[in-house]
Amino acid sequence: MAMTVRTAARARPDAPSYRVAAAVGAGVLCLYVATLAPTTAMWDASEYITAAYTLGIPHPPGNPLFVLLGRVASLVPVASVAVRINMLAAMCSAAAAGIWFLVAERVLASWSSPRWTRLLAAVMAALLSASTFTVWNQSVVNEKVYTVSLAFFAIVSWLTVRWCDDPDGRASDRLLVLIAYLIGLGYSNHPAGFLVGPAVAVAVLVRRPRTLLRWRLLLAGAMALVIGITPFAVEPIRAAWHPVLNEGEPTGCAQRIGLSCTFSKTTATRLMANVNRDQYGKPDLTVRQAPFDAQVGMWWLYFKWQWLRDVHGQQPGLQTGLAIAFLMLGALGGVTHWRRERASFWFFGPLVITVTVVLIYYMNFKYGASQSPELNGVAREVRDRDYFYLWSYSTWSVWAALGLATLWRALAGRVHGSEARRWASTAPVLLLGALPLVGNWRDASRAGETATREWAHDLLGSIEPYGILVTLGDNDTFPLWYAQEVEGVRRDVTVAVTSLLNTDWYPRGLSHRLPVAYDAARGSAIYRGLPAVMPSRPVLSLADVELDAIPEWLDVRTPQLFRAGTMRAVVDPRRLEFGVPTRGDLMVLQLLKDNLGTRPFYIARTSGSYVQALGLEPYALMQGLAYKIVPEVIASSRDTVALPGVGHVDVRRTRALWDSFGAPRAFVARGDWVDRPSIGIPALYISTAFQLAEVMLGRGDTAAAEHFRHAALDMGEATHALDLFLPRASQDAPPPAGDTTRTRTVPVRP
Amino acid sequence: MRTFNPAPARRALVLRMAAAAALLLGYADLARGGITFAPLAIVLGYAVLVPAVILTWR
Repeated sequence: MAMTVRTAARARPDAPSYRVAAAVGAGVLCLYVATLAPTTAMWDASEYITAAYTLGIPHPPGNPLFVLLGRVASLVPVASVAVRINMLAAMCSAAAAGIWFLVAERVLASWSSPRWTRLLAAVMAALLSASTFTVWNQSVVNEKVYTVSLAFFAIVSWLTVRWCDDPDGRASDRLLVLIAYLIGLGYSNHPAGFLVGPAVAVAVLVRRPRTLLRWRLLLAGAMALVIGITPFAVEPIRAAWHPVLNEGEPTGCAQRIGLSCTFSKTTATRLMANVNRDQYGKPDLTVRQAPFDAQVGMWWLYFKWQWLRDVHGQQPGLQTGLAIAFLMLGALGGVTHWRRERASFWFFGPLVITVTVVLIYYMNFKYGASQSPELNGVAREVRDRDYFYLWSYSTWSVWAALGLATLWRALAGRVHGSEARRWASTAPVLLLGALPLVGNWRDASRAGETATREWAHDLLGSIEPYGILVTLGDNDTFPLWYAQEVEGVRRDVTVAVTSLLNTDWYPRGLSHRLPVAYDAARGSAIYRGLPAVMPSRPVLSLADVELDAIPEWLDVRTPQLFRAGTMRAVVDPRRLEFGVPTRGDLMVLQLLKDNLGTRPFYIARTSGSYVQALGLEPYALMQGLAYKIVPEVIASSRDTVALPGVGHVDVRRTRALWDSFGAPRAFVARGDWVDRPSIGIPALYISTAFQLAEVMLGRGDTAAAEHFRHAALDMGEATHALDLFLPRASQDAPPPAGDTTRTRTVPVRP
Repeated sequence: MRTFNPAPARRALVLRMAAAAALLLGYADLARGGITFAPLAIVLGYAVLVPAVILTWR
């Protein structure tokens, strides 16, 4: 039966349905708002919220455009700062969905009729793209800058599709210059902004190769690209004001901003180191961090997550079946795109290939955190990296929707009756595209997730006034930055993260930072009786030149005696992460030497066996979520109980702190823990409850012991972490938080 | 006979001046340590005015 088909050759496509696109974007935004995180989250969310709020500089490359946008979002006088910045992510992704609608409608316009069928299929493209797991999950909290990149990709895609349609002339030249500008601007959000460049180049080469002979236009495009990159100028200017987050410290101005120090070689060197991400020292692309097939396997693992996340592996067959179905639908959509609408294919096809195959090769990841768990001893990423493929899954969804439209058209062609009836009776096939919306809702949603904020409050609350807290990586550090700088909680506590102590700029920042007054009125009642005298100097006594002279690591592999006052600690390099003391370890010992006995000194319990590696176990007293390091060897008493594998526990303090903790309730209320690599955080609470239960049992207080045991079990069931604990319940130290950034911030691995 | 319409030219000139002013003032405030006006002006410049300048370039 003949279907009504219009080809690009026979008729110009209909005008774009901008109003419908806006409505689709608004609908997606409603979905995201309904599932939006009410506060911060694990990993980089806290870092980026804090950087945006304080107009600081997050980790390299510094993402200046995001910081500017985030700062503007944070000024909107509604809801909390975290919600405002989370909304930025939601709005960017919703805008991208609306634009994918336009792209899909444009592709469908040349071969699919009547109009309502095109609109419906294009709506499905937007919905499918918006409800894939990673896109959705990253759009309901501002964990990264990738949703802003997604919006840029979508805008550039639409402009390029329009450029392919437009006749030669000034209007199309302007579009091309604007595209170049947006690629540059996208780069100042994240280097991934350039990923769209090759696809634009292919479209230009194939569609209008003579464009490349027009040097004035090329010059204008190059100038626009350079102007687009200029937001990087924000970094040295802002860094010279030494904001709280000043990662990479891309300035030569040591004290205050000035022309000579800003336009200096030091500033240029540090800025380029930031832009080029020198801090991470990634190997050359020819040195693969995992076999390429394993890297493709990682992409496939996360691809399977997109259509049904299935966090706990309860429906592996269904998950794989859906993934295969959407892989085939995407391929079908790609083939249809090639056959029916070649003009836009020359852009969109290369884009899909760039953000998939090329990106897999370029990122050169180790094995994924959740990939092939049966493989022992392979190098793994500290967390799942699905967010790097967000653009891949988003664009693939557009093709999958085109595949659905192709399928729909084929089915409609086999049904008898009027045209309207044929399309209508076969339309339910499009519901396939709504499956991710249903299947991912529970796990992609971050509604009601408050555990990270509570964790930050609880950890800071475990520290006495003016204390120094040594932390290990992302998840025990960034939430504290958020709590201190955005919510103003316990700013008197100095957080020193070992991974960044390995750099040159971070210790300098610590050595310049003056103490902040403890707010007793907002502080815990636990500390009301304690003397809290505000220190008069920063936490490090060394001058910049002395700090800079500390080597990146010492070639010392045998136990060494560390002395501070009456403390005698045997540091065992073999137990340290790199087998030798790194600059970060030396900085921790310097901090201890400078402050022991004068300021409370703590090491977060997320640090695993770090206390033991530094030989500090005899001096470590567990207080809530941290170990307090005291000058004298600790003796046991009724309230200071030694537990095997834990060390001495300050029972009274830890119990009082437990009563003030908010995270246990948040874990139970959420009822799940989607991100397994950060399970160490709830595990730390579970461990603490088990330890308190054991202490209470030892005292004969069975009611209290049962109370803590139940608390541990409730949290364990809610977060699915009991498998880590039940066999060894109250005996072992908690597992490490699994959240270290150390591997990525030690410049040279010994 | 071809006629010259000054309105678009004037509009384009105004946009260019506005873009330049937003970025210059924004960066100047940033250099003074400003974290409110500076990001507003710079974002206005980069996200709205520069694209508008490009699209109206004559």
